[in-house]
Amino acid sequence: MKAWLTFSPSIVNRAIISDLVKNFEITFNILRADITPKGGKMLIEIGGKQRKQAIKFLEKEGIKLTPIKKVVKKDEEKCIDCGACISLCPVKAICPADDWTVDVDDQLCIGCGFCTFSCPTRAIKVTE
Amino acid sequence: MKTVEEINQRIKDGDAVVVTAAEMTSLVKDNGLKETAKEVDVVTTGTFGAMCSSGAFLNFGHSDPPIKMSRTFINGVEAYSGLAAVDAYLGATQPNRNPDVGLEHGGAHVIEDLIRGEEVELYAEAYGTDCYPLTEIKTQISLESLNQAIMVNPRNCYQNYAAATNSTDETLYTYMGTLLPNNGNVSYSSAGELSPLLNDPYFQTIGTGTRIFLCGAQGYIMGEGTQFATDVERKNGVPVSTAGNLMLKGDMKEMDADFVRGATMPKYGPTLYVGAGIPIPVLNEEIAKRTAISDEEIECRIIDYGVTRRSKPTVRPANYHELKTGTIELDGVEVPTSPLSSHKKALEIALELKKWIDKGEFYLTSPVEKLPTEGLVVKPLEIQKPSILVKDLKGEALILARPNDQINEVAQKMVKNSINHLPVVDERNKLLGIVTSWDIANAVAHGKKNLTDVMTKKVIIAREEEPVDVIARRIDKNKISGLPVIDKDNRVKGMVTAEDISRLIGGD
Repeated sequence: MKAWLTFSPSIVNRAIISDLVKNFEITFNILRADITPKGGKMLIEIGGKQRKQAIKFLEKEGIKLTPIKKVVKKDEEKCIDCGACISLCPVKAICPADDWTVDVDDQLCIGCGFCTFSCPTRAIKVTE
Repeated sequence: MKTVEEINQRIKDGDAVVVTAAEMTSLVKDNGLKETAKEVDVVTTGTFGAMCSSGAFLNFGHSDPPIKMSRTFINGVEAYSGLAAVDAYLGATQPNRNPDVGLEHGGAHVIEDLIRGEEVELYAEAYGTDCYPLTEIKTQISLESLNQAIMVNPRNCYQNYAAATNSTDETLYTYMGTLLPNNGNVSYSSAGELSPLLNDPYFQTIGTGTRIFLCGAQGYIMGEGTQFATDVERKNGVPVSTAGNLMLKGDMKEMDADFVRGATMPKYGPTLYVGAGIPIPVLNEEIAKRTAISDEEIECRIIDYGVTRRSKPTVRPANYHELKTGTIELDGVEVPTSPLSSHKKALEIALELKKWIDKGEFYLTSPVEKLPTEGLVVKPLEIQKPSILVKDLKGEALILARPNDQINEVAQKMVKNSINHLPVVDERNKLLGIVTSWDIANAVAHGKKNLTDVMTKKVIIAREEEPVDVIARRIDKNKISGLPVIDKDNRVKGMVTAEDISRLIGGD
């Protein structure tokens, strides 16, 4: 699953993530992070056997966890399937189908917004 | 072997064999050239790409009292009205005059709005004459209320077009879309084997007067487009670069918004996605062979848009089969590619045109005049006052800092020479970083002693051979006040500042 972790200023200098990775059998990938002494957010993807226990641990340590579902959406009316976005996606979440329809994959998207800004017809929106 | 008249008779009788250019490629591969040339009557092509050189002539009709419009705006986008009283030409790339809208809704978008049947605002100013007394008008118009709305595109359907990449370390926003730094992606715009002029590379059937598919309507080729070139390098019969193109016209009142779209290339501006399809009558084996060309056989050049000069260096040649796989190798690295023109729409257009012909709604034409096939090259625009290069700027005495200089020494050097930037160099004057008066203040505030801890290591530079105008743009874009000048061996030769440049522009 993908989720935003919100860090309050009181916990930013604690090594919670390294404890998490050491103590639980999980796969853990940081997709985006913006944490300063004033707190911040981290977009993560978490999987593995002890995923549920790991999430409980994070919440116990004071991290707010907000799961995200839909990240990227294509407006079928506006999209002309030009493919300008394809090579800009850092995680290959945008791929052409056999008939060159531009397909976007919610599961892979990390919400960086590069496609949104570069779409000539403003057809891609990133929403949570 | 066949004539256009014979093919038109077959279309009338419902017997014509019509295939798309993509189908033709496989037919010739499977059944051979001889058989296919006999069997197939018409090959349809298609393209749906960003074609900046597009626009429309609009006639508004006369108001009462009448006006001779001298400046005209449609939904805030200026149209050229220096022709008669109530005519205007709305260009696709014209930005909106409202700075909050700017590039987001320009001429191309207004053309799409009109084709969709939407009402748009017309505002015009005039100087007033005895026969046209009104000096200002503001009203609503629509495609229906216009007397004529004729799309006239001076340069469409380029025969071939270079693919783009970017070797610099910053993202570039171009008419070829967003180009990521360090050759991070490649964009290409031709439809490849479906593209009209790649299927008739010597203009044997396509010419002035040819009836075509234009944005869902039946349009016509007016002749060769602007910047038309004939004397170019070819491979497998097709040009490897821009070469030929077409000037097209069509009635906007007949067009379908599915096949035309206003768009904005980010930080570049508005452009019009034009859907065009051209039928090619298969008159003989030679023409059949040309229409059977495949993506593998069509080559283009990948060029570096990081060089902001007229001639951009070629990174490597590539064929459209490679580009369409989604990645291409540049210097040993797999780089993702983007098409920019819609291959899906291009095929839809070729199929739509095929449907029209199959149903007997569209007949082929012989050109009234052939397009040029020799003697045309694209001439450059020479600036009579040659552009001033960075090395032409009168440099001040070169003041430099070394990485182990003390902060207070550097501060003294800046004050003594009244400068705000100081390049930091090694013993051979190679650039290591740059330090500004702000960095020095920062060092004092945080008690830092070493210059290397406060200097900026990623420095934006100017090369000696670059035109000053390119540097002015770089200063503006990066919101900096000055940058070091570097020679071929990365040695610092001086500093160029925003003040130097404004003095140059303001002076003489």
